[in-house]
Amino acid sequence: MREVAIVSRKFAVENSHTLSVAQAHGAYKTLEKLHTLAPLEIIEIIKESGLRGKGGGGAPAGAKWALMPQESERPSFVVINCDESEPGTFKDRQIITKDPHLLIEGILITCYAVKAKHAYVYIRGEYAQYQDVLQGAVDEAYVAGILGEVDVTLHRGAGAYICGEKSALLESLEGKRGHPRLKPKQPEPEWYFGNPTLVNNVETIASVPFIMEHGAAAYRAYGTEKSPGTLLFAMSGHVEKPGVYEAEFGVSMMDYINHYGGGMKNGKKLKAVIPGGASTGVMTAAEADNVQLDYESLRSMGLSLGTGGMIVMDEDTCMVSVLKNLLEFYHEESCGQCTPCREGTGWVDKLVGKILDKRGSSEDIDKLLEVAETMNGKTICVFAPAVSAVIVSFLSRFRDEFEAAL
Amino acid sequence: MSEMIEIIVDDKTYRAEEGSLLIDLLIREEIKVPYFCYHESLGADGNCRMCMVEIAGQKRPQIACDTLVKSGMEVNSKSTKIEKVHTDILELELINHPVDCPTCDQAGECSLQDLYMDYGLHDAKVTIVDKVKHDKKVDLGSNVMLDQERCVLCARCTRFTDKITHTHELGIIGRGDEAKVSTMPGRKLDNPYAMNVVDLCPVGALTSKDFRFHQRVWFLQSAESICHGCAKGCNIYIDHNKMKYQDDVIYRFRPRRNDAVNGFYICDEGRLSYKELETNRLESMLYDGVVVDEHEAIAQYKSLLTQYQGRVSVVIDANLYSEEIEAIVAYAERIGAKVFAPLECYNDPSFADDMLKSAQRAANYGAIVKMGLETNMPSDAGLIINFNHPTHFNAEAEIHFSTHKQESNALLLPMAAFSENSGSLINEVGLEQWCEKAVEKNSPAPTVLSWLEKVEG
Amino acid sequence: MSFCFNDANVAKIEALKKRYPSAQALSLPCLWMVQYQEGYISLDAIDVIAEVTDTPAMEIYRVATFYTMFHLEPTTQKRVLVCKTLSCKLCGSDAVLEQLKKHDVLVEHVECLGSCGTAPVMQIDDVNYENLTPTKVDAIVEGLR
Repeated sequence: MREVAIVSRKFAVENSHTLSVAQAHGAYKTLEKLHTLAPLEIIEIIKESGLRGKGGGGAPAGAKWALMPQESERPSFVVINCDESEPGTFKDRQIITKDPHLLIEGILITCYAVKAKHAYVYIRGEYAQYQDVLQGAVDEAYVAGILGEVDVTLHRGAGAYICGEKSALLESLEGKRGHPRLKPKQPEPEWYFGNPTLVNNVETIASVPFIMEHGAAAYRAYGTEKSPGTLLFAMSGHVEKPGVYEAEFGVSMMDYINHYGGGMKNGKKLKAVIPGGASTGVMTAAEADNVQLDYESLRSMGLSLGTGGMIVMDEDTCMVSVLKNLLEFYHEESCGQCTPCREGTGWVDKLVGKILDKRGSSEDIDKLLEVAETMNGKTICVFAPAVSAVIVSFLSRFRDEFEAAL
Repeated sequence: MSEMIEIIVDDKTYRAEEGSLLIDLLIREEIKVPYFCYHESLGADGNCRMCMVEIAGQKRPQIACDTLVKSGMEVNSKSTKIEKVHTDILELELINHPVDCPTCDQAGECSLQDLYMDYGLHDAKVTIVDKVKHDKKVDLGSNVMLDQERCVLCARCTRFTDKITHTHELGIIGRGDEAKVSTMPGRKLDNPYAMNVVDLCPVGALTSKDFRFHQRVWFLQSAESICHGCAKGCNIYIDHNKMKYQDDVIYRFRPRRNDAVNGFYICDEGRLSYKELETNRLESMLYDGVVVDEHEAIAQYKSLLTQYQGRVSVVIDANLYSEEIEAIVAYAERIGAKVFAPLECYNDPSFADDMLKSAQRAANYGAIVKMGLETNMPSDAGLIINFNHPTHFNAEAEIHFSTHKQESNALLLPMAAFSENSGSLINEVGLEQWCEKAVEKNSPAPTVLSWLEKVEG
Repeated sequence: MSFCFNDANVAKIEALKKRYPSAQALSLPCLWMVQYQEGYISLDAIDVIAEVTDTPAMEIYRVATFYTMFHLEPTTQKRVLVCKTLSCKLCGSDAVLEQLKKHDVLVEHVECLGSCGTAPVMQIDDVNYENLTPTKVDAIVEGLR
């Protein structure tokens, strides 16, 4: 496996969260170059790099930047999504604690490109201690005059998974409940108090300085044709060395798990992997043996790459209880706005609970799939469709375990 | 105004304004589409997900309340696929519903019930013990009771207090399937239009404390009328019923949509003013406090008229129908009496607001103004014939046609209230509107017109 | 009992107002300030926030009830947040919970805390305690006194 460190290049450096150490290791070097380029030229470079959003969706970042108006009477904003709440995902916290200046540098480039003067970093409420580290870096950057012309404000969430959805995040940032907004009819920027706004994940923005420094081709030298570059993939669950390790897109999942994760914990056999955060579905060990870590490979299996946060499960794991655990999560976290999600997440949780308690019947399995179907494609945001896909992925691969529990 | 374009719904062509909401067209053309949260006065919220339709070229079904009409759009509202979508979402809407229709006042005018008959008809698949439990008897204030279990969280009531009254008493709190409508702890729903949330609520979650448990809605008959609370002329339904062996009774007033006057709403005071029509009514003819029969009453009437010949003043209430006022004016001319319609007593600035409540608290205010009747009362009247005017005027003698009881030694003659008669009214801005006769009492009091016939006969 | 922001928070609010296009954006920051200042969010405090943010009190109340980290009731016990989501569950969060039952703390069973790689985890006063074992739990909770 080819070692690569684009976003994680300073992770191993001690005290890299401080400005002096970060600068000694090359932080903010791209800013000199920045003003030799026009904003639209930068957006072009980002487009060419093929950089994709790393918060789970994988949408092309450059196209999103290009939606921002270059001429606007209203101020433009950049919002960084650090509401990292997808179970199995813990990569953004590495960036804001181990290399916060990389993020700030990325923010400055992004703000220049989309002509924004103020960026907000929306950080999940549970990350207070990591927010403090990032705030320290921001404060240092202000003192050093790196920030000032462009402002960065950290904004703390307060415990709501749905705020990772960009329009819910903006609602929350406006001081409201985190309800996803109705989707626009044509491509347009997001809106923050009616002002054009770009929302990107922490890691996406932290990838930008490398592209600025080395060019789009250098970024494309990693990864696959359609999934260029790298991701802070992560492992948790039944592996020897769980953690976050950057790798290029397209590496074999098992190579990654064995190389960085040190294989299965206690020498157990692999049973299943959730590839990229709870909402990406589940695959069997046999499938894991043959899959590459890129958006297209996962999609072709009916799953998604998501955030690349793999949850690894060994042979002793009960898949009914795993699904129950995930459905409890969704039941708890549904914002409650749309009927299919509000009522559906509760119902599927109760149905699987019934099966887990050995009170279920085969009708309950059928009903589970029916409700999953109703939850798919009928809501404002993709929360309910994701729950639906999770259920289908479990039942299509481990149905025998559910039937055995009846 | 945008361009008018053509779209196709279920193979038929319709015209609509480009960029208008598809659901408005479906409602206007009476194309059946299920919905809870959308309301024409509150706009789209998109939360109930019921109003799904298929649109050619779109992969997934779309909600009609968030779809803008475009030229050439092809919509299917009735395919097997879309009916299944309606059925499935309705089933989810019902899983936590208590299904307590037998004790629910909304039964008979409930969207859930109606839609279940159209799309549901499934057996319940969730046992009652697994349903989410909430408070079933929350007194929100302003005569509004909340049953949180019946609520479908459409947010119409909360949007009403946010967008219409701007009083913000109601909100959806909590989240997921624990979300519920509530006021802030210890605070009440308290605004002059609060009871409209009962009409807005598509299910039995919000009911009127004034109406609940009194009458099943399917027994009620509705007459189209105008509220008599002020000169605004808000359109209402008078819901009444005559139960076997009992009298015809009014159970409630409800707002009747009229975009030119009151939109969808009425004020609570007007809504509850039906009670005045059922209480303290003058039922017998009285003279000097003693009950008299019609023969004696008319004899007394004529004798007073003769006695005060040339010194008679007729006073008219500005709540009478125009037809009645005209008849009284003509009658006064025949008997040589002067006509007065004092308006000062109706003026109540403390009642007025910038929504629907007018400071002029008389339903036919506009007619008095239009007819140019004398509004200043002289102080030297001999005999006053008062047609239900609320003010007591000093005079040597008085005949009082009245809907309600009076502390008076005058000749008191009971007359029909507006709900017991039909006629037209002109509101404060000159709009003429018609009121249907609603109730037929077992022993009806005579109308103004029949009284005039009697006393001239 | 009425609520007032302390001087430090008043200064913070004034500074924050300059950083947002609308005062309503301050509702979450203000709710946090109240919670740190008072330990919980009272209705009086909600009224004060409503004024600061120029937002109806009901809207602030709705916001406060939406986010699980805001507490509308006071407690004298120490709050311990224990993650119950999958990675922690796979790595022994049930044992952590069992162990915590033996202590006088207010245990909140919460969803993913973002410590999946260092599971199981609990959070006390905004600090994560990771790679927990029952023995570690005892030591940490004892150390709180």
